[in-house]
Amino acid sequence: MRIPGILILLLLLQLSCTGEMRNEDNDTEAVENVAVNGDKETVSGDSPWLNRVEYFGRSIALVNLLIIVIVFSISTMVILLIFILLNRRRMRKRDELYQYLLETYQALIIDYLYGEAGAEGFRKIASNGYRRQVLIEQMKDVAVNLKGDSGDKLRKLYMELGLDVDSVRRAYSRRWHIKIKGFRELAFMNIKDANAEIFRCLNSRNEILGMEAQIALVRLSDDKPFEFLHHLRRTFSLWEQISLHELLVLHSIPVPSFKQWIDSPNPTVVMFALRMIREFKQKEAEDDVRRILSHPSPEVRKIAIEVSGDLEMTTTREVMKKMYKYEDDINSLEILKSLGKMPDKSLLGFLKLVLDKEDDVQLQIEATKAIENIGEEGVKALVKLMKSKSEYKNYSIIIRHVLDRRIY
Amino acid sequence: MMEGFSTNIIFYLTLFIFGSYLLLGIFSALSLRRYLRKNSYVNYNSLVTSPLSPRVSVIAPAFNESRTIIDNVRTLLSLYYNNFEVIIVNDGSTDDTFKKIKEAYQLVKVNYFFDYRIPCERIRGVYRSENPSFNRLTVINKNNGGKADSLNAGVNISRSPLVVSIDADSIIEPDSILKLVKPFLEIKDRRVIGTGGVIRIVNSCDVEKGHIRKINLPEKILPRLQVLEYTRAFLLGRMAWSHLDGLMLISGAMGMFDREILIRAGGYSIKTVGEDMELVLRMRRYMAERKEKYEVTYVPDPLCWTEVPSDMSSLKRQRTRWTRGLIESLVTHRRMAMNRKYGRLGQLGYPYWVLFEWLSPLVAFGGISYSIVLAVLGRDCSNKCVKINFCKLTPIWTKNLI
Repeated sequence: MRIPGILILLLLLQLSCTGEMRNEDNDTEAVENVAVNGDKETVSGDSPWLNRVEYFGRSIALVNLLIIVIVFSISTMVILLIFILLNRRRMRKRDELYQYLLETYQALIIDYLYGEAGAEGFRKIASNGYRRQVLIEQMKDVAVNLKGDSGDKLRKLYMELGLDVDSVRRAYSRRWHIKIKGFRELAFMNIKDANAEIFRCLNSRNEILGMEAQIALVRLSDDKPFEFLHHLRRTFSLWEQISLHELLVLHSIPVPSFKQWIDSPNPTVVMFALRMIREFKQKEAEDDVRRILSHPSPEVRKIAIEVSGDLEMTTTREVMKKMYKYEDDINSLEILKSLGKMPDKSLLGFLKLVLDKEDDVQLQIEATKAIENIGEEGVKALVKLMKSKSEYKNYSIIIRHVLDRRIY
Repeated sequence: MMEGFSTNIIFYLTLFIFGSYLLLGIFSALSLRRYLRKNSYVNYNSLVTSPLSPRVSVIAPAFNESRTIIDNVRTLLSLYYNNFEVIIVNDGSTDDTFKKIKEAYQLVKVNYFFDYRIPCERIRGVYRSENPSFNRLTVINKNNGGKADSLNAGVNISRSPLVVSIDADSIIEPDSILKLVKPFLEIKDRRVIGTGGVIRIVNSCDVEKGHIRKINLPEKILPRLQVLEYTRAFLLGRMAWSHLDGLMLISGAMGMFDREILIRAGGYSIKTVGEDMELVLRMRRYMAERKEKYEVTYVPDPLCWTEVPSDMSSLKRQRTRWTRGLIESLVTHRRMAMNRKYGRLGQLGYPYWVLFEWLSPLVAFGGISYSIVLAVLGRDCSNKCVKINFCKLTPIWTKNLI
């Protein structure tokens, strides 16, 4: 409050000064008019503002503009400050009321679901716009953890009170954030009346809207929750993939066989399918993953390499060995890591060659790790290399690094 | 006409500055509104538990931080994220920083094969804890080379796709990594190379074991003024420039970068004291010259808290360093100025920083001095007589200083 106080004080000071100046100006009017008449730019009598301030021969328009800017800035600041203070007070009160209503409605809903209370109490609440909205929020929150009869009973109440009409109207709103609110309400209450609109938003340029449409479709679909992946044309971001994976894990949605999307024309859908194959350990997709190792996108190939190693898809070893020399450093490193996860004696020659030929320290370290993982034969090969005292390669440092278990 | 312009240059410049601030304010408000709406639907917890979350390395250089290092490392180890490591770089401290951290976290030297991918001072040793509770922690003990050199050492040892650089004496918000990571995951048609966020002032706040317990306004006047300055810089300037794709600075106190691009661009520069700004400019330049689509994003949420100077001599030192860093960065990358190749950064961002960040203090100082001269001599630059009347001084000051 100190800064506006100082400003108001300055303003008052200025006004009092200009007041004095006005009196003085009246006394010296004749003198000034003489001075002014000699200069075309500075006719004080032309402007009502100039009777009040000293302008020192500057352009009238400039001085006027300056005064307007000052007055506008100070008044805007004062108005904004009052607005902010009032708004903060209003928001605090609204939050308190919201919290109170949430708690009250939660108790009412639980009483309705598991007690003897009827729907009458809710009708009164639903007749008030703000309270109706709070009730929708609370019913949505309760619905997250409900299944079976209780879920159906709550859904029936939602429709009986006509709250579904509000949600559908929101889903068709032109504003994206209102639309999302509607999608969420419909998805949680399992109401399919706006599915066509949700489906339409799937490929929206607004990424948040698109993501919420996906989540709503997964929740609202009974038999094929991931059907939308066949129709997804835009990029499927990692954030969306993470959200969808969480939905799958937390809400017991039936997990489909993700290999059906491995040939999708959308590379990001293929990446999602590969990640899900790994997370849900769908090893039956081994042939498809092996095929995808030759995908034109290096990002897709990288994930296919990772999945091959993580799920120990041994039939991919030979393919990865062959593709190694054609890949960039990032994918080459992934190949070595994957081979290290499914060690085999047949890889020893290849890995020794990598260790010998590569200059990149990371590639050397991963090749050494993979050799060590082969077992006795690998360790023997490493010992031999350590003793070789190569002129160009500092094998002993690399091997000591790899053998140190404290380094992850 | 020209005479009018030259005599009113300060006025026009002031009008231009305030006009720019007004525009930045509008852009910032638009971005903030979108961010708030967008974030009302975000569940950051998905990132914490997800096995798909990218790995992040938090790099904290420490030089003579003996007083706070143990608490600060504890705060870093308790960050709210699943897949991360903490790399502390002891930059040849002359106090007992390293000894303290070694004892507190039961560190032992490991046989690390250090890859000097980005050149940095000699590494004396890499240390890891024997206690599995601290398996996220790696400590590098190296010869003194400055903050930029230490960050380069940390980047060399990191194996994560994303690195966060922080000041070891800053207090990090527990959910800061979640907020910084998100832009890297959600933007689709271009590569996010860096993300920054809001830095707040910790002076006079209650801090307990590296966590903020109560937020207070600083007691001294200098830090109080800096609260206002930081709010303006972070919520107005950077937010708006991020919206306009002209963001040039991610604060050295905390920022997240794409490690691959950081290495490809050559790492932090040890030749400047403003390594944070120089790095962003170099990474952006690197991407623009390769015609790769990229973005530097900004999160308008408080991510970390830092102590600001509370006396004039420290403030003077800090501001001298910042100004030197700013000038060095702008001079080093002068090729970007008004260059269409660098998009809005070159055509809008660069000139703005030159005019309003570099030259603005000089213009302000000139304006104030000019007004004092006018008030004392009673003459303006066109040699017109000015009456000395203290009652009329308010309009004189208004005219010359705004």
